[in-house]
Amino acid sequence: MVGSKTSAPPIPALTLLKTLTPTELFITFSKIGMSGFGGVLPWARRTLVEQDKVLSSEEFSAILGICQIVPGPNILNLAVCIGSRLCGAKGAFAAALGLTLGPICIVMLLAVLYQHYSNLESVQGLLRGISAVGVGLIASTGIKMLRDEFQYPAMLLVVALTVTAASYFHLGLGWVVLLVSPLALLLAFKKARK
Amino acid sequence: MGILFSLFLKLSAFSLIAFGGINALLPSLLELSVYQERWIDLQTFADYFAIAQAAPGPNFMTVTLIGWHVGGVLGALLATFAIAWPSSILVYFVQRLILSMNDEQKKKAIQYAAAALAIGLVLSSAWQIALQINRSYAAYGLTLLTIGLTVFTRWHPLYLIALGAALGTMGLI
Repeated sequence: MVGSKTSAPPIPALTLLKTLTPTELFITFSKIGMSGFGGVLPWARRTLVEQDKVLSSEEFSAILGICQIVPGPNILNLAVCIGSRLCGAKGAFAAALGLTLGPICIVMLLAVLYQHYSNLESVQGLLRGISAVGVGLIASTGIKMLRDEFQYPAMLLVVALTVTAASYFHLGLGWVVLLVSPLALLLAFKKARK
Repeated sequence: MGILFSLFLKLSAFSLIAFGGINALLPSLLELSVYQERWIDLQTFADYFAIAQAAPGPNFMTVTLIGWHVGGVLGALLATFAIAWPSSILVYFVQRLILSMNDEQKKKAIQYAAAALAIGLVLSSAWQIALQINRSYAAYGLTLLTIGLTVFTRWHPLYLIALGAALGTMGLI
């Protein structure tokens, strides 16, 4: 292999505990998608690392880290990353499809029920209750992540600037990202050098 | 076909700016679908948000439901595909780029920056969505209770959703 050049940058191989075919990936991610009440990510870790032993806990965290810096649905990014690491583009496709197909069918079923019963007062109340909890769940995701930032308080400036730009000045998401990312990167490099 | 095409285009663009995941995107999604395009009204958006929270599966099912509302089964599939394909292709290549990067410090810095940005976006999202969706002091109280219970206890989110559903059905929220 000395002196040979490959067109794509080589990817370090996973220390696979198991190999999966696209069909198996589809089934594994179907399980993850369908069991993910109140957030799919914890279930993904439980299934892939603890039950099926597809990857180690460190590898899972490393891949998740990459998925969280890229825009888009984090859990879907995770399916694409793990699927492609295990069996290329086919694997990515199989994992993504497995993750989404079941839940799509369920929410469409619920949407039909909603059409029929949304005029009932109890159903309206039920949904109001759930959405109030849902907002709280999103806020607490942010608050839990915020606790880690106190290790390097300068980063809190980035959080504050983001909140101000988005909530006070009502800038669109794209503008907020453009505005805040230079400062975020600057401080992040300082934090990484520490 | 016009409305489905527009749905597909706009959601595809959203996929590429959804830093911090779908939770951070919700206010933009609400702004687009309720106030700009008028695909659905605010109440329906709030209800779809609740259904997506209560159903198993990824949280981007809110997007699927908006698609359903606009164009039935085809709309649902199209909306889901639109929110998914651009970021999926991006992450496929970014993964290769980052894994082939030898500079540990650079890798860490990028993750720190993204994390801080995501926290800010998710917190603002919760705040903006609360202002739009919560209609009563009781609803705000329930939101605060949820935050308190998830931050200070190890309660499973499903219990909290059940609690919200029960209180709501009794007409308290």
